[in-house]
Amino acid sequence: MSPADLVAARPMRAALGALFALALGVIYLPLLVMMVFSFNSGRYQTLPFREPTLQWYLRIAEDRGFIEGLGNSLAIAITASLLATLLGFLAAYGFHRARLPGKPVLIGLVLAPLAVPLILIGIGMRLQITALGLQPALWLVLLGQTVYVLPLAVLNLRARLLRVPPSLEEAALSLGAGRVRAIFGIVAPACGSTLVATLLLTFTFAFDEFVIAYFLTNFEITLPIKIWTTLVTGFDPTINAVGTAVFLFSLCIGVAAQVVLLARQPRGAGA
Amino acid sequence: MVRQVSRAPIGDPWPAILPAVLLSAAFFLVPIGNMMRLSLTTPDGLGFANYVAFFEQAHRSDALLRSLKLALSATAIAAVLAWPLALFLSFCIPARWRIVALLALLAPFWTSFTIRAFSWQLVLSDNGVIAVWIERLTGAPVTLGILYTMGASVLGLAIFGMMLITLTLFGAMTAIDRRLIEASASLGGTPWAVLRDVIVPLALPGWLVGVTLTFIICVGDYAVPTLLGGGLNPVLAQMMLSTVKGTYDLPTAATMAMLLTSVVLLAALPLLALGVMRRARP
Repeated sequence: MSPADLVAARPMRAALGALFALALGVIYLPLLVMMVFSFNSGRYQTLPFREPTLQWYLRIAEDRGFIEGLGNSLAIAITASLLATLLGFLAAYGFHRARLPGKPVLIGLVLAPLAVPLILIGIGMRLQITALGLQPALWLVLLGQTVYVLPLAVLNLRARLLRVPPSLEEAALSLGAGRVRAIFGIVAPACGSTLVATLLLTFTFAFDEFVIAYFLTNFEITLPIKIWTTLVTGFDPTINAVGTAVFLFSLCIGVAAQVVLLARQPRGAGA
Repeated sequence: MVRQVSRAPIGDPWPAILPAVLLSAAFFLVPIGNMMRLSLTTPDGLGFANYVAFFEQAHRSDALLRSLKLALSATAIAAVLAWPLALFLSFCIPARWRIVALLALLAPFWTSFTIRAFSWQLVLSDNGVIAVWIERLTGAPVTLGILYTMGASVLGLAIFGMMLITLTLFGAMTAIDRRLIEASASLGGTPWAVLRDVIVPLALPGWLVGVTLTFIICVGDYAVPTLLGGGLNPVLAQMMLSTVKGTYDLPTAATMAMLLTSVVLLAALPLLALGVMRRARP
């Protein structure tokens, strides 16, 4: 008897497997359709498939909006991921080691943005900057998205810090290193791969984020905003090509992050 | 050469949390406080007039109800479907394939929510892939009439929720001590009994986390209701956005945002209570 038999008999396992395959099919079918249509020369998004073409991909480069949005999105997402990973690492370390009254409340505050609809971060900041007399701008998008991805960084790094032996930094401290040097010279390198994975994950989440950015800009655009306005103002097949490119780009970064994380885990533990 | 080391006492590292706490306070907590103040601001001073006005206007309160209905339907579907999927992932698949299956399930999370919602338009629209396939099979023209309905929104969000709850359930299921399952089975437990008496009770907290997060994300989502549900029957998030970007009626926007915040807090209560209970347990 295999261990799996204890949980589900063979026919039941087959049924579960079929359901799982069906679920993956439902998740990926629309994305595959989009990818196929991105090479379809027909103007309308319907079958039959006409001649294959790359024209929609070439169109992306001609549209200044996409290029401008891509530039802004890359700049914001790179900065936000660096900021969130740095602050998230410090916070995870502090929450792990500090003795502080009210620590659970502070942890809750830092993690909360992940547990509310994004629209609340966006509208909250928008109403706040209006009250302060500020205009929507890209640097505000950067701050809003950093607040949003910070919890991801804290959660990822806290899980990693739990597995860094305290003796490492105690040794550094007792040999005369200051706290800052112990943190950045000893603890951070011990979390190396998780720091890389965190950078990648926070980058993709910021890069694809739309609602916060939409509230915090008026005329400047990020790539998701450009995609959105193209989507809601009548159909343009270029969007299939952009969608495919963005999907594959994010997918590569996300898979890379997850592979880095999974490779860290000791064999046999967890997934 | 021996280096002289000054042995200044090393203090508690609490300042390390300051930057993150200040950032979240300044750009999350303070804005919510500001929204609360704004929602209570009326021409005659502080009061609940904005809230009363919200519920007196049927098109506004309908949007709130639509948000709740949409989120409840999508979450309910996802909450059920996640069980068999997580069971398969946790117990019925060899470890090597499990990583692949897990990645396949995780991958869409790292990609744009907007693009995934849009890709469903290609499938569901009246001349989309499904309609064309049905026409080919039956030979008769069909009008699906699915796109731009509440049903399409439910579908889009239920699939998202299904993935999310499957992941939290999977986390809880893999944390179950395998010896408990073996013990239960060797004492004569059928697979059904193992499931009912061991797996379900131990995985329930992970399920609750996924269900709560799914509901919260769905109730405030903007992209799926706009792209799949359409704009004729807006949900609260759509109304919030059009109020801020269109009519600039900021106190009304703040009122809607505070109502959404209240819904989120209410939804999170069971989870918070569970957390407090665990902390209190010796």
